[in-house]
Amino acid sequence: MSKLYSRNEDIGEFVPAPDDDLIICRCEEITKGEIRRAVHDGMRTITEVRRFLRAGMGLCQGQTCGRLVQGIISRELNMQPANLTPAPSRAPMRPIEMYVLGDEKEGGVPND
Amino acid sequence: MERYDLVVVGAGPSGLSAAIEAAKCGLTVVVFDENSRPGGQLFKQIHKFFGSKEHNAKIRGFRIGENLLKEASACGVKVILNATVIGLFRQREVTVRIGNEIVHVKGDAILIATGASENMVPFPGWTLPGVIGAGAAQTMMNLHHIKPGKRILMLGTGNVGLVVSYQLLQAGCELAALVDAAPRVGGYGVHAAKVARCSVPFYLSHTIVRAEGEEFVTGVVIAEVDHSFKPIPGTEKHFEVDTICLAVGLSPMSQLCKMAGCEMTQAPTGYAPVCDKTGQTSLPGVYVAGDVSGIEEASSAMIEGRIAGAAVAERLGFLGAAERDERLKQYEAALSSLRKGMFAPENRGKAPKKTEEGLPISMNLLQKGYMDEAELEAYPGMIHMPGLHPVIECTQNIPCNPCQDACPRGCIKIGADLTALPSVDVSKSCSGCGMCVASCSGQAIFLVNEDVGEGFAEVTMPYEFLPLPRPGERGMALDRSGTPVCPCEVVSLRSAPAFDQTNLLTIRVPAQMAGRARQYRVGGAV
Repeated sequence: MSKLYSRNEDIGEFVPAPDDDLIICRCEEITKGEIRRAVHDGMRTITEVRRFLRAGMGLCQGQTCGRLVQGIISRELNMQPANLTPAPSRAPMRPIEMYVLGDEKEGGVPND
Repeated sequence: MERYDLVVVGAGPSGLSAAIEAAKCGLTVVVFDENSRPGGQLFKQIHKFFGSKEHNAKIRGFRIGENLLKEASACGVKVILNATVIGLFRQREVTVRIGNEIVHVKGDAILIATGASENMVPFPGWTLPGVIGAGAAQTMMNLHHIKPGKRILMLGTGNVGLVVSYQLLQAGCELAALVDAAPRVGGYGVHAAKVARCSVPFYLSHTIVRAEGEEFVTGVVIAEVDHSFKPIPGTEKHFEVDTICLAVGLSPMSQLCKMAGCEMTQAPTGYAPVCDKTGQTSLPGVYVAGDVSGIEEASSAMIEGRIAGAAVAERLGFLGAAERDERLKQYEAALSSLRKGMFAPENRGKAPKKTEEGLPISMNLLQKGYMDEAELEAYPGMIHMPGLHPVIECTQNIPCNPCQDACPRGCIKIGADLTALPSVDVSKSCSGCGMCVASCSGQAIFLVNEDVGEGFAEVTMPYEFLPLPRPGERGMALDRSGTPVCPCEVVSLRSAPAFDQTNLLTIRVPAQMAGRARQYRVGGAV
């Protein structure tokens, strides 16, 4: 997995496609065309695309679009999707309000 | 900080099974689930499960869930709902959101049993309201009693797509079509057959081109695909629907494993942590079970949970190594019997041409969802004899055998191999009790009397639709493709606690229709 990808590899020019306006990341409203263009602009990993476009950084944290983004990038780079490592996972695992995240409780879980 | 012997993340089939196994060995166990109801996907599963007795075969999924919950509470497992695990850190420290607070707990062992999420497929219009996952449709119907739509198109013919399609029909929705880009039905043939005989057309090698509508879905266009799954121009078909259901696979919800630092791998069953056969990941004391470790189904998830529970108990000194090995041996045997046959994990993506018995697999079944009468004749469950007898339309090697135990007279044989095709012993006489019909999770067994006199035959079929037909009522008999073939009269409708909500509907049809009439439709000619 995750073989080193040569950034010097020529992937050709960005060629517009009829479905470029298809929304892929619903939370952040990122289109297929934006993701494809980002690859041609030099983003060659899922993490780079995520940081560049915020695809997969919304409410669902890439639960829905993660695989789709992986597929689009890999097709653009002409490689197997499995060769692209999925984006890192970090705590908090679910969207959470800052005031809750900061509200640490002493002791254990409440008894019912 | 509160400490538990075992902290389980996810109260689904595998998480609860592991918790029960561990608690019975004396461990203190807490289970967190982010949902307001426990049971994971089990409580949406209103159909009867496959397998053998030890796998809870012929019991409906939600009942299995109820039994697991009862067992968990009886052995002292603490199940905490609306509790979202937001992190797993060094030395097995877990942070959980409960209400508006963050609670820290520590586990001597952790079991991650977070299950899976549904895959999506993008097409123009896929973000319109009305495009939903098949799991979402199931949640709406079976948990909240809301019809997802009036007229629905289902994409995906795996078991999820087929089972949910049937449940949509049961809920009173119309199904416009079942569509799959693959050239063959992916799920069990028996699941496909019960949808097909309700007049639902199958479109294999087809995909969705676009959803139509401005504010919400008003229609959908599908087209045939070529070998590289590209739509072929000129093959478009249009359907007026208000809902499009997507059943295009599941992905492990393995983010918590990855966050914690488990070594991950990209397997054919999804991006999942590397683990040994007990579910132990690369992090000592952190285990996985169920779909998060690779997509399978609930029956194997429950056994994986038992295995992980026993392994954890041994690791923490609650169970001797010999006793653990004894249990693992038993559970692994149960697991491997489920993982046999043509739908076994190792056969994923393969297309067997013949059954284990050497019989040809019906291409009609794989392409249209139903078999021709003539094709069925080759199978051991398809018999003709005077008087009442069972007809078993089970033509694929799937791990299931409740029919064998159901017959009090021993008419039905499968043998020790769970995936063997059932055969009918013609030397035994059928009492007509109908237990086999009700016990078949695939609804593939019928009782037929080819000659009841005056040129008529009687066919008894499993019937799980409301309202229930009344004796004397007249309607249409449908064949396996759902095409009306003749008017018929309802002779009887039998319901019994032992049938567990599968009603036995007997219809009288002209004798020549004995081999064709397989479904009943209320009302007259169409």
